[in-house]
Amino acid sequence: MNPPERLLDRLPEWTRSIRFRYTLLYSAVLFGLAAVVLAAIYLVLLMSLRATPVSAARGTYCPRFGDCITVITFREAERLINAQILNKLRFYSLGALGVLFVSSLGVGWVIAGRVLAPIGRITSVAREIQATDLSRRIELPGPEDELKQLADTFDAMLARLDAAFAAQRQFVADASHELRNPLAIIRTNVDVALADPDASPDDLRQAIAVVKRAGDRMTLLVDDLLALARRQQPTPEHEPVDLGAAVAEASEDFVVPAEARGIVLDRAIAEGVVVSGDREALKRVVANLLHNAVRLAPPGSRIRLATGSERDRAWIAVADEGPGISPEDQAHVFDRFWRADKARSRADGGTGLGLAIVRQIVESHGGEVRLHSKVGVGSSFVVWLPVARAAAEPAKR
Amino acid sequence: MRVLVVEDEADLADAVARGLRREGYAVDVAYDGDEALDKAAVNTYDLVCLDLNLPGIDGIEVVRRIRADGERQPPRVLMLTARDRTVDRVVGLDEGADDYLVKPFDFDELKARVRALLRRDAGRSGALLEVGDIELDTARHEARRGGRPLALTPKEFSLLQYFMSRAGQVLSQEDLLEHVWDENADPFTNTVRVTVMTLRRKLAEAGEGQPVETVVGRGYRLREGP
Repeated sequence: MNPPERLLDRLPEWTRSIRFRYTLLYSAVLFGLAAVVLAAIYLVLLMSLRATPVSAARGTYCPRFGDCITVITFREAERLINAQILNKLRFYSLGALGVLFVSSLGVGWVIAGRVLAPIGRITSVAREIQATDLSRRIELPGPEDELKQLADTFDAMLARLDAAFAAQRQFVADASHELRNPLAIIRTNVDVALADPDASPDDLRQAIAVVKRAGDRMTLLVDDLLALARRQQPTPEHEPVDLGAAVAEASEDFVVPAEARGIVLDRAIAEGVVVSGDREALKRVVANLLHNAVRLAPPGSRIRLATGSERDRAWIAVADEGPGISPEDQAHVFDRFWRADKARSRADGGTGLGLAIVRQIVESHGGEVRLHSKVGVGSSFVVWLPVARAAAEPAKR
Repeated sequence: MRVLVVEDEADLADAVARGLRREGYAVDVAYDGDEALDKAAVNTYDLVCLDLNLPGIDGIEVVRRIRADGERQPPRVLMLTARDRTVDRVVGLDEGADDYLVKPFDFDELKARVRALLRRDAGRSGALLEVGDIELDTARHEARRGGRPLALTPKEFSLLQYFMSRAGQVLSQEDLLEHVWDENADPFTNTVRVTVMTLRRKLAEAGEGQPVETVVGRGYRLREGP
C-alpha cells in the first residue's frame, strides 16, 4: 500500500465526505479569486501612484528668523500620502482575506450540505429497503433537477423490482397450492387405507390407483414448472431450426390420440421456413397447443395444423372446432394456472401451465402468440416468429 | 353425527368420506359449492368439512350462506385449504368457519379436529363423555357402562354418542335418522328402531336398569341421572 492512502485512512470519517471536499474546494476557489483580485488592485495602484516613504522625501528649510523646519513639496506630500494609503490597503486586504477564508469555509459547508441533502435521503431509503420489502419509495420533492431525476430513476427501478418479486411470490404460492392438492389426495388415501385393518385387496388396489393418478398429475406439474423456470433464465443458445420439420415431428405424437378420440388432424406444413431458436422449445409450443386441442375438441371434429411464412415472419397455426373461449376468458388463457373449468380440466390431466409455457417460449424467441376464438365455433392459436434471415442481420429489437 | 364433505377433488373427497364413515359418522359428499348448498338446505349437518377453493360458488360463500340460515342451528365448519397464507385463513375464520386444516393434512389430525368441534356442541371439553354410569371415549372409540366395556358397532356407537351429547332431551326417530344416518339411509325402513333396540339390549346387559327410555309417541331419551 502506498503512503498517501494510509494517510487518508487515518483521517476522521467526515473528512472523506463529498461535503468536506466540496467545502474545501469552494473555500479555496473563493479565497484564491479574492486574493488575485485584491493583489491586482494593489499592484495597479502601486504602479500608477508614485509613492515614497516619508524618510526619502524630506528636505530642510531654514528661514531668516527662527529654527529650521522640515519641508516637503506638494508632490512629495502626495507621494507620502499615497504610500500610507497603499500601506493601509495592504493591511485591510490581508485582514479581509483572513475573514473571507474563515467565512467561506462556513458558507461552503452549509451550501454543500444543502445541495447534497437529497443524496442523503436517497441513501437512507436505499438502506431501509430489504430485498423482501420493496414497497418503499424515495419520492424526492423539489424541482425537476438532476438529483430528482436520479431519485425518480431509483423509484422506477424499485417499482419494477417490486413487481418482479411480487410475480415470483405469486408463482411460488400458486405452485405450492397446485402441488398441495395431489399431495393431500395421496396422503389421505394412504392414511385411510392404512388405518383400516380389514381392507380388502380391492380396496387397497383402488387406493393405489388413486395415488398413482395423483402422482402422475404431480409429475406433469413438476415438468411444466421446471419448463417455465428454465425459460425464465437467460435464453439458451439459438440455432437455425427447420420449422416445418420440427412442427411435423411434434405433431406425430398426436396422430394416434386424435384418432382415438375420432378427431381428424389435418396438417399443412410449409417447407423451407427456417427460424432461429431452440428446437425442443418450439416443439413444445406445438405439442402444448395440440394437447389442448385434442383434449377439448369434440369427437368427429377437425383440427388443422399449418405453418408458413409471410415476409420476414414465420407462423404456426392450430385451429380446432372445440367449445371456444369467451371474450372475458381470452384475456386469461395465457395466465399460469388459469383453467376454463377447474374441476374438469384438473381431472383430465391439464396442469394449467400449457399456454403460459407457450407464451413464454414464443416471447423469448422474439415472437408473439395470438388467439382468435368464438364460443361454439372453435379456437385458433397463431404463433408468429421472426425468420432466421433476421438473425444474420445485426440484432434489432 | 352427520358430516358433509365438500371438496372438488373427487379422490380426496371420497377418501375423507370413507375414513370418517369408518369412525361412525354419517357422511355425505358434495363436489362443488352448489351441490353443498343444496344438501345443506335439505339435510341437517352437525359438521361441514369444506374446501375453500371450489369451482362455481367458492368455499367462503358457502360458509356465509350456511351461517346465514337462521332457522336451524348452523353446523360446525372445518375448512380445508391448500393456501397456507394467513390472510386466507383469517378470511375463512372471520366468515364463520370454526377451524381449519392446511392440505396435505394428517388424517388422524382431521379426525381429532372433527371430534373437538363436535364436542363443542355437547358442551364438554374432553374426549370423554359421561352420562350416569355410561362412559364414552370418542378418541379411542370405546364405550363402558359401570366400567364394563360395551361391544358396539360403529352405528350403535354413533347413536350412543348422539344420545349422550343430548342427554335428557327427547329425540325423535327423524332426529336420529337425520344426525346419525347419511343420505343413503332409507327413511321407510325401521333401521333406527332396530339399532336403538340392539343398543338398549347391550346397555341393559352391561348394567342395572335401562338408561334409554321410550317416550311414547315422541321418541327416545337418555336419562341424565342414574
